[in-house]
Amino acid sequence: MASRGGGRGRGRGQLTFNVEAVGIGKGDALPPPTLQPSPLFPPLEFRPVPLPSGEEGEYVLALKQELRGAMRQLPYFIRPAVPKRDVERYSDKYQMSGPIDNAIDWNPDWRRLPRELKIRVRKLQKERITILLPKRPPKTTEDKEETIQKLEKEEEVTSEEDEEKEEEEEKEEEEEEEYDEEEHEEETDYIMSYFDNGEDFGGDSDDNMDEAIY
Amino acid sequence: MTQAEIKLCSLLLQEHFGEIVEKIGVRLIRTGSQPLRVIAHDTGTSLDQVKKALCVLAQHNLVSYQVHKRGVVEYEAQCSRVLRMLRYPRYIYTTKTLYSDTGELIVEELLLNGKLTMSAVVKKVADRLTETMEDGKTMDYAEVSNTFVRLADTHFVQRCPSVPTTENSDPGPPPPAPTLVINEKDMYLVPKLSLIGKGKRRRSSDEDAAGEPKAKRPKYTTDNKEPIPDDGIYWQANLDRFHQHFRDQAIVSAVANRMDQTSSEIVRTMLRMSEITTSSSAPFTQPLSSNEIFRSLPVGYNISKQVLDQYLTLLADDPLEFVGKSGDSGGGMYVINLHKALASLATATLESVVQERFGSRCARIFRLVLEKKHIEQKQVEDFAMIPAKEAKDMLYKMLSENFMSLQEIPKTPDHAPSRTFYLYTVNILSAARMLLHRCYKSIANLIERRQFETKENKRLLEKSQRVEAIIASMQATGAEEAQLQEIEEMITAPERQQLETLKRNVNKLDASEIQVDETIFLLESYIECTMKRQ
Repeated sequence: MASRGGGRGRGRGQLTFNVEAVGIGKGDALPPPTLQPSPLFPPLEFRPVPLPSGEEGEYVLALKQELRGAMRQLPYFIRPAVPKRDVERYSDKYQMSGPIDNAIDWNPDWRRLPRELKIRVRKLQKERITILLPKRPPKTTEDKEETIQKLEKEEEVTSEEDEEKEEEEEKEEEEEEEYDEEEHEEETDYIMSYFDNGEDFGGDSDDNMDEAIY
Repeated sequence: MTQAEIKLCSLLLQEHFGEIVEKIGVRLIRTGSQPLRVIAHDTGTSLDQVKKALCVLAQHNLVSYQVHKRGVVEYEAQCSRVLRMLRYPRYIYTTKTLYSDTGELIVEELLLNGKLTMSAVVKKVADRLTETMEDGKTMDYAEVSNTFVRLADTHFVQRCPSVPTTENSDPGPPPPAPTLVINEKDMYLVPKLSLIGKGKRRRSSDEDAAGEPKAKRPKYTTDNKEPIPDDGIYWQANLDRFHQHFRDQAIVSAVANRMDQTSSEIVRTMLRMSEITTSSSAPFTQPLSSNEIFRSLPVGYNISKQVLDQYLTLLADDPLEFVGKSGDSGGGMYVINLHKALASLATATLESVVQERFGSRCARIFRLVLEKKHIEQKQVEDFAMIPAKEAKDMLYKMLSENFMSLQEIPKTPDHAPSRTFYLYTVNILSAARMLLHRCYKSIANLIERRQFETKENKRLLEKSQRVEAIIASMQATGAEEAQLQEIEEMITAPERQQLETLKRNVNKLDASEIQVDETIFLLESYIECTMKRQ
């Protein structure tokens, strides 16, 4: 606008307010304009007051560090899943990775939480069923009636037992989904840390090695 | 939520619960209430991971949920509750001073696990205490229960809202999420349990023997088979009660600093008497008569009634107005002005920050402006007796840091700058808010720096941990001095130096965090009580 352009033209250095009221007297040099952001670590004019030391301070400090360490060990600390490596390895089966199927390590009170948060573990259930089916004695036809009757009685009993077992196991699995991982783990006699797949060994010093690594 | 608060929440969640929980938690804090699938979609994490994270957050009372129409459950995070995690060590230490080790461990277990049933707490604490006792001694459940009951009576622990028990079965399908309710009367009601037992010591020999057969048979722990008598009744730490205690402590120490030990004891007695009768957000306590106070003074104090009256009059006349006189019956009715006390404490914090950051002359100007409420620049120079140039410089410094603000009073309706008064003023509420924001930023910086220092020296830390483990195992199997020396020398002298420096730095950073958190508590209490008043 014309007036604004005109204002810029005449009287350079005129400000809109009365300079004296703010305290800058006539002829005082204005501070230079700042051309860069303020420094990241500005120099401190005054040293800070020392931190409280003494029994209380040290106890609370130790407590804080302990709590931090303790919380990392609790089941509430969720570690991100180990990324899948390129090739499947035998020792993968026995290494202690996270809980199977993202189930949780601890048992919350499911009555207090929304139903949608409950994670259902399905894979093992299917495995179980497939294992059970072949166990059912195949229905054979035989000539002798006694043996037929005996067998039929046995079949009834065993098929009943099998059905009961299946129902029980399904119920158990529904109730104790979170224990599935442990049953899966305990197929071996060895301690889990036994299976060191040795990948971390020998990878560090590969420079100038002419001989083979045994 | 300001960016500084969100950043701090993110750091705290990551340190205590891992990255997945941090991602979900920060997402909820940023965007408010959201349903499950939206969270999974927006953060790009799998549905299972989100469910896990939400379970953890709900267990620790950091997230609440609500059923909306059409059965959609929405989750909401409480940012202020996440920030309380900074204060956990202080809560635990306070319980230690009031109820000794047993109480300390009870509150620690409740804070670490979010919420627990009473029987679970008693068992865990008894086991932990038995570990620390000498061989052969065990901790009885009854003692732990007693301490628990005492904590509940003084309201330091409270019941969580529970699932309402419906007598008639629901005609339709059960709701997707339970609505938890709590009755005011039941909040501190301890269930009648007869917990009989002693703490168990974890013996290493037992583990070795049971290790093999355990692996073979399925793990059905016997605890799950027994019905838990107080099933469904969960307890949590009552943080508001702790805050009330901290506030009382701050007031008492302020009075002790300003006057003397006896007056602080009187104020402490008055606060103790009104602990249960006054709600934590009341502006002042219930009026207490001088006779009552005299009767409730601690046993060791032998001051006569007249001396007590004199002290009370002195306290009531003090310009800080911590104690006020509300009537004359019963030898004089006195109240403690809680809101005024918090305002004085916040103001004192501001003054001290100005003094430490800008110098004592600036602090003098700050106190002057506080006293005069609105003052012109010329008058500042005259009243503070500081040369004009310095005064101007200091005023602008404080103005640019937002400790002060300018109030314009125009002389003419056209607000011409040459004909306007510019008055300097301190708005305590906004200055407190600004300082609180800076505190959040400071703590975030401290945590980041600590994590950086630890990451830089990670290799060295791991090495030293391994060496310690080797030494410990060798000592257990009875090794010679020479062998131990050899192992210790695996860490060279400069490395030891580096470790020492690292430890010192980390300790300093941790202690600073604790200090800043104390300031945060004062400022937050002041802001909260001022907002309630308005």
